[in-house]
Amino acid sequence: MSSTDSVATNNPQMARHIARNSIKPRNTFERVAWLFMRYSGLVLVFLALSHWGLQHVFNSVHDLTLQVTIDRWGAAGQVATIQIWFWRAYYAVLLGLAMIHGLNGLRQVLWDYFHYRPLYWGFMGLSTLLIVFVSVSGIAVLFLGVNAAAAGAAVIR
Amino acid sequence: MGTLFITVREALRYKGREGQWLWALHRISGLGILFYLIIHVYDMSLAYFNVPVHEEMIALFKTPLFSVLELALAALLIFHAVNGVRVAILDLRPEMWANQQKVTRISLIVTAILAAPTIVIMIIYTLNANFGPVASAVGR
Repeated sequence: MSSTDSVATNNPQMARHIARNSIKPRNTFERVAWLFMRYSGLVLVFLALSHWGLQHVFNSVHDLTLQVTIDRWGAAGQVATIQIWFWRAYYAVLLGLAMIHGLNGLRQVLWDYFHYRPLYWGFMGLSTLLIVFVSVSGIAVLFLGVNAAAAGAAVIR
Repeated sequence: MGTLFITVREALRYKGREGQWLWALHRISGLGILFYLIIHVYDMSLAYFNVPVHEEMIALFKTPLFSVLELALAALLIFHAVNGVRVAILDLRPEMWANQQKVTRISLIVTAILAAPTIVIMIIYTLNANFGPVASAVGR
């Protein structure tokens, strides 16, 4: 043990090697949540920023009409093309990762500031219900398609 | 409420410098983005479940008030993305902790480089939509 100590203090690379290989982490909830925040975050950088760029930078948000959404997600009751399936998958992954990432972030913040735990659990329970409800609705509309039949006169073209 | 007051007071007193301010801003921007995300996904889900309300909400998002809020959202989103990458890299590469302040400065500079043109382009789009083509170079 003492020989590795002296090697570690003399060699930072060896110290890192020992540190990484001598600790066996258990897959607790907090560890999985911590890792999820890193990996989902790195994926979301690309997905969320590309979505933002597409909607707000390379296109004006003022040009957004229901027709644009129909072109991307398809209309309800119509057969979807490959392109539409691509956008559905893209938005489903973006929505799912962003919602779980956000819910876990909210959990950490609430845990830090709501020291009266019943308040924490109440707030967390309500937020989880809301986020699950909204996420399921959002995923549903992706795969159901836009209900173009119910639209007003705005959809022409 | 007492906890919130103590949290704010101690956050202002604690001399954590850049790292502490970025940590606080990361939390605030994350909560802001989550708040918008829930409204946005709910609004988009109405494209199937209630199209007239969906179209009303889209029209609301094009009003000047929301165009200004949108600029703040752009800055928060870009900051959260860049700072999140900084946090992930520092967690995975502890040897970089020695250069904390340099890394902090780099993350703020990258945020500014990405956010500045984004916000300028969005302002031009909004001016075009509200007052006609004031800047045809970027507009249609």
